[in-house]
Amino acid sequence: MTDQPAPFSIQLGALKKRDKEDSPRAVEKAVIAGEKHGFIDREPKRRGGRLPSPRTGQVHAKVLPHVAQEILEESRRTGKTQGVLLEEAWALYCAQKTR
Amino acid sequence: MPVITIASPKGGAGKSTTAVILATELAHAGAQVVLLDCDPNRSISLWASRAPLPPRIAFHADISESEIVRAIKRHDDDGQIVIVDLEGVASRLVSRAISQADLVLTPMRATTLDATIGVRALQLVAEEEEALGRSIRHAVAFTMTRAIKSKQHTAIEASLTEQGVDIIQPPLMERAAFSALFEFGGDLRTIPAQGRMDGAAENAAAFAQQVYMRLTEATQ
Repeated sequence: MTDQPAPFSIQLGALKKRDKEDSPRAVEKAVIAGEKHGFIDREPKRRGGRLPSPRTGQVHAKVLPHVAQEILEESRRTGKTQGVLLEEAWALYCAQKTR
Repeated sequence: MPVITIASPKGGAGKSTTAVILATELAHAGAQVVLLDCDPNRSISLWASRAPLPPRIAFHADISESEIVRAIKRHDDDGQIVIVDLEGVASRLVSRAISQADLVLTPMRATTLDATIGVRALQLVAEEEEALGRSIRHAVAFTMTRAIKSKQHTAIEASLTEQGVDIIQPPLMERAAFSALFEFGGDLRTIPAQGRMDGAAENAAAFAQQVYMRLTEATQ
């Protein structure tokens, strides 16, 4: 169907370039004009500082250095996050304490 | 290189549909067209992902406020038309894009809400004309209109005409084929038939021809 002739044709020569000022000053003027009508900055803002780490629930190796490797391996084996393993361990500890 | 900026702070007014119809019809008529998708909703990107781009159309997405002027200038080639599709919000990105436009199109459905909010784009163009000291051709394009005009449509059209606003005739009608462009990609000649394709193609071509006429006048 793309072979259908166009109902009108474009004269490429008629598409002339028109110079438009793009200096920072000219663009600033346009921005100020826009702000009068509520056309304001709506770009998403990035918060400063380090980007937050993804919440993996992973325990840092320095927190429990003597068992960090074992927790990691158990986490991989069970498919649970290390945080969930620690929650379960804490529940066991609490249960044992109240016995 | 004429630049058409499609601007309305009202969402759902038909900006992206207008952009795709214009791009595909102007390209079919022989123009090289560059589509700039500046809308975070990425409607044009969705259309572009559905099928190979029709001949003579290039497209670029994810253009932010800080990049828009440079992005328009980068495609500053003779004999090429740049179409800028903007997000439906009142943002500085819109002000910047209008500053580089040869023709600003404001699509609106024939409702009081669309007209009230859409008129803000026309006010912005007038303000920028004054600030930049150059005329910027602009026009309203009614979208999703019915064969029988509602009283509201007639009243809005009369009010805009009274205020000297240029209205593109014919409007873009409510056609299944127009919305199907975003389902199948490509153009009205390549998508599977949706309702009366001849009517849709005729409407789209007549609309694009009117826009092209204004564009050539604006760049004289």
